[in-house]
Amino acid sequence: MSDLGAYALRFALLIAIAGAAIAIYAGTSQRSDWLRVAERSLLVVFGFVTLAMGTLFAAFATYDYQLAYVASHSARNMDLVYRLAALWGGQAGSLLLWLWMLSAYGAACVGFNRRRNRELMPWVVAILLANAIFFLVLLVGITDPFEKLPPGAVMSDGAGLNPLLQHPAMMIHPLMLYTGLVGFVIPFAFAFAALISGELGTAWFRTTRRWTLFAWLFLSIGIMLGGRWAYEVLGWGGYWAWDPVENASFMPWLPATAYLHSVMIQEKRDMLKTWNLLLIGLTYVLCLFGTFLTRSGVVQSVHAFAQTPIFTSVFLGYVLITAITFVSALLLRRGQLHSTNRIESYVSREASFLLNNWIFIAILGWIFVGTLFPVFTEPFGRRIAVGPAYYQSLLGIAGLALALLLLTGVGPLIAWRRATFASLRRQFLFPGIALLASAGLLLLVVGERLTVYALLAWSLGGFVTATILQEFYRAIRARARKGGENPLQAFATLLRRNQQRYGGYIVHLGAVLVLMGAAGSVLNEERLENVRPGDEVRIQDYRLRYLTAKALPAKHYGGAVARIALYQDGNALAVMVPEKRMYWMQEQPASIPAIYSTVSEDLYVILTAVEADGSATLKLYRNPLVNWIWIGGFVFILGTITVMWPHPRRTTESSAQ
Amino acid sequence: MSKGFQIAAGATLIALLMAWYAATNLAPGAAFTYYKSLDEFQNAADARAGKHSRVHGYVALGSIERDVAAMQVRFTVQGEPPHAQQGAPSALLPVVFGSLETPDLFKEGAEVVVEGQLVQTQDGGHFRADKVMAKCPSKFEGDPSADTRAASLN
Repeated sequence: MSDLGAYALRFALLIAIAGAAIAIYAGTSQRSDWLRVAERSLLVVFGFVTLAMGTLFAAFATYDYQLAYVASHSARNMDLVYRLAALWGGQAGSLLLWLWMLSAYGAACVGFNRRRNRELMPWVVAILLANAIFFLVLLVGITDPFEKLPPGAVMSDGAGLNPLLQHPAMMIHPLMLYTGLVGFVIPFAFAFAALISGELGTAWFRTTRRWTLFAWLFLSIGIMLGGRWAYEVLGWGGYWAWDPVENASFMPWLPATAYLHSVMIQEKRDMLKTWNLLLIGLTYVLCLFGTFLTRSGVVQSVHAFAQTPIFTSVFLGYVLITAITFVSALLLRRGQLHSTNRIESYVSREASFLLNNWIFIAILGWIFVGTLFPVFTEPFGRRIAVGPAYYQSLLGIAGLALALLLLTGVGPLIAWRRATFASLRRQFLFPGIALLASAGLLLLVVGERLTVYALLAWSLGGFVTATILQEFYRAIRARARKGGENPLQAFATLLRRNQQRYGGYIVHLGAVLVLMGAAGSVLNEERLENVRPGDEVRIQDYRLRYLTAKALPAKHYGGAVARIALYQDGNALAVMVPEKRMYWMQEQPASIPAIYSTVSEDLYVILTAVEADGSATLKLYRNPLVNWIWIGGFVFILGTITVMWPHPRRTTESSAQ
Repeated sequence: MSKGFQIAAGATLIALLMAWYAATNLAPGAAFTYYKSLDEFQNAADARAGKHSRVHGYVALGSIERDVAAMQVRFTVQGEPPHAQQGAPSALLPVVFGSLETPDLFKEGAEVVVEGQLVQTQDGGHFRADKVMAKCPSKFEGDPSADTRAASLN
């Protein structure tokens, strides 16, 4: 049965090569009948890749340990759900997943564009197939998920999956992340197609607007899920460690966000054409590069997969070829990419958006250099890694993020072309007062525990929130006066009629909440305590009484669980049960924290060790405002969905959609 | 000034600022890290004199003592992996880590990097570690999923 999958992949490769050649021919000869053939070949590739995925899922489900990949990533003691998810737990399977997503996006793109974009589609199809060919070559030639073990080496049980991956968030985290990372191939393909075909108007990005938002949404979700998983499972009290693989997923997000903003400038003022093409090219190249980084072991990380040198060179070659061909096309067309307008004033929306873009790129550069520092320093003798201070100091990413926060409030309100003093006063008087009031309140209430960063983050957060509230208030009031709608109706109408603007405000609000929640870490408290049964520990107004520790019931993991009673002001709140697990097969320990969450803070307890004398060593964290990160995340997601939501009425207003 | 010139000037300015920042704020010890093998460490004069350094090695079998009363963990670091050594290990370094909070992966035979300094006492010297990082012992399929966990005192 798995043979079927192996043949399916090989057949798909042949079809993809033929299809790409036909697409190129269709593009150069403008033959729409050959274009249809090329489009159908993309659908056929999707069909065969789906078949291959299906057979691999079946192999995992039926314990087919003949396959080396199944044997090394699953075991009989795993539940079906985790066995299926183990498909993307290793190198070959995750590449197959990537390929499947790529072909799925391609098939959907072909479907949606049956009657549209006919000038661009030949090149779009060619580029999608070219990318598919690369992954097919990898899967057929270098890391074959259907590779069989020699008959004597087949065991009756598998090696199992890294236990830290056997968690719901980890099961869907790769799916979310890939839906995001792979999805950027669509706007990239359209951008490349625009360059090749010479159709350099706004069509290429307007037609891919929802695709880009969709990919960006899932990339954002994937990043947040990764953070939530780290918080819940890795047991170090935090959610982001600037690990190279974490950075690999975050780096494409930065130019993608910059791109989403700057295309608005191109639409409104016909500027930044080259810049937008560069941004989407950079985004996609970083998606590929990020996945390369995760797999190649070029930088040490908790996540990195195993690989061979040939894989590394082939993948890196692919990333470089993609970048070089795209930039070459851009250079060839630079004569046709002049803007019709220029920036007229530094105090304008165009300038704010441009500054926003530069800051995103600056943050990207900072993270890029930091992530690859060991690679840069290796030729000089020693591999040097940067530490956390590089990413956290104010005169760096933190400061840039604050500048971005300020712009989030200023950008949407400031006038186009040139803001007059009167318009500035009208727009920013209330938010300005909110800024000063927030700062004053913070200094009063939090006082000396406040750092510069936290003060600015929370005050600017207040500023941006005030701008958003002001915008909604004014618009709702105007609608109420004009059309007699009640506030709720008016609110809904705004989100429907002007989804980009008002949905965008909700997204900004989500981002602000995330930043404000993250800034809460300046007030974090942590303690290490050794306690005997019956001992109590106090932290703030919480009282924790250590009750007992017991052995975990024997499963595929063992270890100990502590029981700790939690009180606050005399009220019994919960019994916290942190675990220290040992996964027998992999000899891998894991600290699963017990978390008591409220809107204002988390109490986070780790069972560090059960000591030989019967006492327990506990690590306690109090993390104020941390849940505002996840709440902000949800608001962010809701806002993005609002921006993306298709409204039937709008088909006449935006014909190029 | 042509646009190209403006862009080049801006980019150069930013690159210079970043270089200045790197040079002044990221001196070794603060943000950068690199380590010595146990042999290198024991031969390095400045390390013997008590300079803050990082040492790589393996936890000697049977050497871990968790002292609950003193809230510290004592262990010995050797230069070769215990399962690969032939005969007695050539070099041994006694380490004292001033916290009970050792990383998850810390156990006998684990590959570790300890950060701290050599201190001399009456009964010989020991390495006072303020940071202990442990790596997952490599598995049979050679999967270098470098599960590295760290514990530090601050």
